[in-house]
Amino acid sequence: MLNLLWMRARAAVIIVLLMLTPVMTGVSHAERMPPQKVLQTWYRLVLELVRHTSNYSPPVAARSFAYIGVTVYEAAAGGDAHLQTLAGQLNGLTAVPAREKGMAYDDGVVLNAAMAYSMKEFFSHTGPTGQHAFAATEKKMHAKVSDGLPDDVVKRSTDYGQAVAKAILEWSKSDGGADVQNMGFPLKYDLNPKPGHWVPTSLIRQQQMPLLPNWGKTRTFAMPKGSTCRLPPPIEYSEEKGSAFYKEAEEVYNTVKTLTPEQKTIARFWSDDPMLSPTPPGHWVSVAWEIMDKEKSDLPTVVDTMARLGVAVADGFIGCWDSKYEYDLIRPVSYIKKVIDPKWETLLITPPFPEYPSGHSTQSGAAAAVLASIFGENYAFDDSTHVADNIPTRHFASFKAAAEEAAISRLYGGIHFRAAIERGLQQGYCIGAYTVALKTRK
Amino acid sequence: MRPGIVAGILALSISVFQAGLAQAGQPVTPTFDNQTGTSGLSSRYQGDWEFMVGGGVSAFDCNADGYPDLLLPGGTDKAKFYRNDSTRGGKLTFSEQTSGLEVDNLLGSYPIDIDSDGIMDLVLLRLGENIVMRGKGACQFERANEAWNFDGGKAWSASFAATWEKGNNWPTLAVGNYIDPEQDMLPWGSCTDNWLHRPEQAPGIESKRFAAPKPLKPSFCALSMLFTDWNRSGTPSLRVSNDREYYKGGREQMWHIPPGGEPVLYSEEEGWKYLRIWGMGIASYDLDFDGYPEYFLTSMADNKLQALATLPKDGKGPATYKDVAFAHGATAHRPYTGDDWHPSTAWHTQFEDVNNDGRVDLFIAKGNVAEMPDFAKRDPNNLLVQNDEGNFIEMGLAANVASMNISRGAALTDFNLDGKVDLVVSNRWKDAEIWENTTARAGNWIEFRLENPGANRDAIGSWIEVKNAGHVMRREITIGGGHAGGALGWHHFGVGADKDVEFRVIWPDGREGDWQTVAANGFYVVSPGKAAESWTPSR
Repeated sequence: MLNLLWMRARAAVIIVLLMLTPVMTGVSHAERMPPQKVLQTWYRLVLELVRHTSNYSPPVAARSFAYIGVTVYEAAAGGDAHLQTLAGQLNGLTAVPAREKGMAYDDGVVLNAAMAYSMKEFFSHTGPTGQHAFAATEKKMHAKVSDGLPDDVVKRSTDYGQAVAKAILEWSKSDGGADVQNMGFPLKYDLNPKPGHWVPTSLIRQQQMPLLPNWGKTRTFAMPKGSTCRLPPPIEYSEEKGSAFYKEAEEVYNTVKTLTPEQKTIARFWSDDPMLSPTPPGHWVSVAWEIMDKEKSDLPTVVDTMARLGVAVADGFIGCWDSKYEYDLIRPVSYIKKVIDPKWETLLITPPFPEYPSGHSTQSGAAAAVLASIFGENYAFDDSTHVADNIPTRHFASFKAAAEEAAISRLYGGIHFRAAIERGLQQGYCIGAYTVALKTRK
Repeated sequence: MRPGIVAGILALSISVFQAGLAQAGQPVTPTFDNQTGTSGLSSRYQGDWEFMVGGGVSAFDCNADGYPDLLLPGGTDKAKFYRNDSTRGGKLTFSEQTSGLEVDNLLGSYPIDIDSDGIMDLVLLRLGENIVMRGKGACQFERANEAWNFDGGKAWSASFAATWEKGNNWPTLAVGNYIDPEQDMLPWGSCTDNWLHRPEQAPGIESKRFAAPKPLKPSFCALSMLFTDWNRSGTPSLRVSNDREYYKGGREQMWHIPPGGEPVLYSEEEGWKYLRIWGMGIASYDLDFDGYPEYFLTSMADNKLQALATLPKDGKGPATYKDVAFAHGATAHRPYTGDDWHPSTAWHTQFEDVNNDGRVDLFIAKGNVAEMPDFAKRDPNNLLVQNDEGNFIEMGLAANVASMNISRGAALTDFNLDGKVDLVVSNRWKDAEIWENTTARAGNWIEFRLENPGANRDAIGSWIEVKNAGHVMRREITIGGGHAGGALGWHHFGVGADKDVEFRVIWPDGREGDWQTVAANGFYVVSPGKAAESWTPSR
């Protein structure tokens, strides 16, 4: 609630500032797109390109959401005395270019330039349609944001937006996650032959190796390192009937065999398959934009949300991957087919990497922690992320409730054991707390 | 017998036996001679974003000499028609000829005798208005959209299939449309409707025109379509392979097309599985001799080879397919030669027996969409040769067809009528390539052309069955599939060492022709109720 009150006070200040801005630039902004809309337009394209860029698995997508979010945050913070730079707070980010004092800038142009520069780099691997759409958007957006502005303001603002984006890009290059080849699947990898360890679950050749085995070593953003919130070991592996592990598998088996229509709906709503959706981190970014659109959020709230949500999900995947490859646990489908029922099938496609913990659970926990800190613990919202895919809107009483549903959806889908779900959520809350602790307001 | 001789015979027997073992599972390696430079072909598939798909080739005989002629699309350039001047067993030779087919914005084409006058017509798939071209003979064509009431629309069309629904004298055409090219900022989710062009009159009443097209909703950016009687019910269904890059809420589709009735999608309750791929091409053939076709679907990275999970009974059974590509060595997921290890991008595909051993082989045209860095830039075309265990062995390099160009369409057909299937491939921004099949140790062969009196002259929807090596090879006669192009004319079978060939035709109306025995290594024209007529090329 305090956050909401603070938001409203900040909004009033911004309205005053926006009223003053024409005086600074000498041009009416009435017909130009507001900076928030500039970002919203670009993020629509970001969510599409995440879906349509082949190396954008969920961890890679989360990484880009973080860097792009920090880019727009810093670009806006350079012109807002009330926003605290993240330089010095995020690992390895030491400084960001500043605006020239006393000179006029236009936030719309700054953010447009920052987004265009950033996206061109982070989505350099997208296909010809993505490139075509990017070029069309860049051209149309530049015309929309710069129309009626003095040339010097446009140039100065463009240069500044690009300078910030370039600085963030340079910072990103040293994190160990910049170079993703073969869609993240190593060409060589020694599988652990002992029972209980991950074995391929797909008939796709590329997926005979697990996805991004070293992602847990990627530099984190807000939490100290990938192992900061490492989980305890999973339940001890056993194929004995009646063992704790067997019972856990039996729960997955029985759940999938007796799914209710509502459970199927939940599983598919949170499926968020890469290349067929904006991925799990993109799902939360979509949620945030739906809320910010409804709330008509001001620019500081928008950039704060995009930066911290991006950081939270990125750290979430790094932390999750650290635990995944530490424990290298077998997937339910492999165990159940071997021990319980060779004809059993999952509802969802089993992702091609170790089971413990659940990636969606971890990153959803982290995302919920951050969004709750911005919009409130009991903020109720609608989630229309998949409406275009003919999956109806769902309503949630809080971010935590949504995260819990995202987590349990993996049990309904037959792709995770309960321990990976429940502990994954806890891991997400642990990771999210580091992002919540970032200071964004002076 | 002296011990030394016994030992010698034994050693010889063992070595012969071992040689036999070594050859088991190892089919004859086909060889191809690249004759692009001397063929007379000079055609490139040009254009940018709007021509990232398409490039389909069609092969058909339009001057009644039995030799397949060619239409190669130019994209933004004009299409080129080539008359086949080859002689039997000679080098592949073509001459560019003005035909009326020289249109721009052509993505592909399919031959079909729409008016059943015995002269081949063509359907031209374009960015913009599609055109039906009526054959006038001597490889001359004229626009017939108005005469046949064909609405060419203004979409981005790259897939096609045709059938004659029961009781109809006029074909039903399915045209697959892609994304809306005007949605340049957010093209995803903008798939435009596929259209079903049916005869103007109801089944049983003679038609000479098409009715207004019926949108097939929902449509998911189709890149290949095929009417196929997957369950041998006697009524073909319409398979549609869709590009998941652009649809939202989409999937692979199969439509019930009851004659004259409302098209209805196969549902999960009917066993049709939820599959989402970058569908780009369909090839079909009964690979395991169980009477039902398998389907190969091209995509990016792994491709799919689908086999029925349960065989139907009396034309009824679940429409459930399992993917057996991995098990049969047909994933073709990355380049098999060269230094590029990135995943492949697959387009046209076709089953034909290139070494005449009685097992069809699989060709796949490969090539990056344009400049997608996460996919192979040097992506050789595949020639997967099937062994006698039903597994596929990559022989593209050994066969000399491992072109690294950015390929799209292709046609495998016998251009010089020597009984061996040749190959032509279209490429983005580079000249089309053509190869003569020069396999020295190829087996015997036979080729059939079907002549159905009255409507549906080429007997689309029939099955040709050929006995060989203790099983029955079956080929469903279809128009559609592949990527944006197809061949229609002689139907080829390799028959191994067989000198006499027992065959029959099951005609589109279900009538089963008598089993007939003819000599191998010949061409035969087959009509219902008649003995097959031998045919010999005039040159």
